[in-house]
Amino acid sequence: MSARADRTRFEEVVLPQLDAAYNLARWLTRNGHDAEDVVQEACERALRYFDAFRGGDAKAWFLTVVRHACYDWLKRNRPSEIAPGDGSEAIENAADPAMLTPEQAVMRNASTSALAEAIAELPVGYREVLILREFEELPYKDIARVVDIPIGTVMSRLARARALLQRSPLLHAIRDRSAGAER
Amino acid sequence: MNCHEAMPLLAAYSDGELDPVQSAAIEKHVLGCTDCAVRRDELASLRSRIRSDVPYYTAPPALHARVKAALARATDTPPNERPARDRWHWLTAGALAGSAATVFAWFVGSAVLDWQVGTDLVAETVANHARATLGNRLLDVASSDRHTVKPWLSARLDYSPPVQDFSADGLPLAGGRLDYLDGHPVATLVYRYREHTIDVFVRPSIGGRAASSPATATLRGFNVAHATGAGMEWWGVSDVSADVLQSLVARLARGPE
Repeated sequence: MSARADRTRFEEVVLPQLDAAYNLARWLTRNGHDAEDVVQEACERALRYFDAFRGGDAKAWFLTVVRHACYDWLKRNRPSEIAPGDGSEAIENAADPAMLTPEQAVMRNASTSALAEAIAELPVGYREVLILREFEELPYKDIARVVDIPIGTVMSRLARARALLQRSPLLHAIRDRSAGAER
Repeated sequence: MNCHEAMPLLAAYSDGELDPVQSAAIEKHVLGCTDCAVRRDELASLRSRIRSDVPYYTAPPALHARVKAALARATDTPPNERPARDRWHWLTAGALAGSAATVFAWFVGSAVLDWQVGTDLVAETVANHARATLGNRLLDVASSDRHTVKPWLSARLDYSPPVQDFSADGLPLAGGRLDYLDGHPVATLVYRYREHTIDVFVRPSIGGRAASSPATATLRGFNVAHATGAGMEWWGVSDVSADVLQSLVARLARGPE
């Protein structure tokens, strides 16, 4: 097959997954500009490895490549984020509502940004399984493949991510505040 | 079903991962159990808040354009002008089997195994591979994590083989095994390529032999590739095509990046 014919097939298979790729990269890098760079890099890699794609689920395959590119980016730019450790302290400390300035409190009063922020503050290992599950609705076995962990670990990370979100002091503060406002 | 059984399954239930029988059992239990019903509702409410309150970032139009341009650049570059590392990736993926890049790399990289030196070892590696794939003892340690496989092997040998995983290139590490080669215990790394199994036997290279690019042979339908590098001798055996096997062995002999 010529390189051009390869590319046509590649574009048919992979380009429909560009939103999923960008969303994952955007949540892992937490920055739109870097996410774009990472997705472009991932596309170039995916084209090179295209023959290793065995058919089947293009989304899971491509997201695996995207995740690798994200981790390479994190290694270069934010190595501390992928350091081992469960990072629960980070999320529990990061969002202390008592520390908010009035402007931040106003910003965060919209529950939209509060939940999004709590997700952005999840340790990356939890964040990625949550994004793949809640946004991409990948089955556990595909998440296991993309993240390269056993299904049992997918389940425990998801449980932990959800527990961290439900316990997030930021969310509680907002819930309390809005409950107060309704009274 | 009681709470002890139901509680750990609630997340999988709400994620649609349970079979219909298990799902029905959960639903029946939740009807009579307040705790589990609360937990189920919390999960559902978190999900609906994520769907409604958290942005899904769609790829900006500029990214579509950038990606298309990058792909055009990548495919319009003649293959033999690519850097060596890229060429290896092409080979690994088998993407251009029969194309200019493969043929080019084949001429550069290949040599026929010196049968005078290697016959017995070639036969032994093939016998090891065939025995392992026929029986049930393909893996002594099953893990795609090199940090698991390497210590397992090192603990049982008097050397520590370098272990690399190439999942991103379609050659995931499946695990490791101990074999006998040339009268000594030897580390075997097991890789998967599509439906194929690739065994790579690793032993310290004798007398600091100079690094060599892979040489190949075929025996009883199996391809064998041999290379020296990273302080080790590498013997790859598999029924995959010779170029895939050769590129894997070459990559291993180059050592970790």
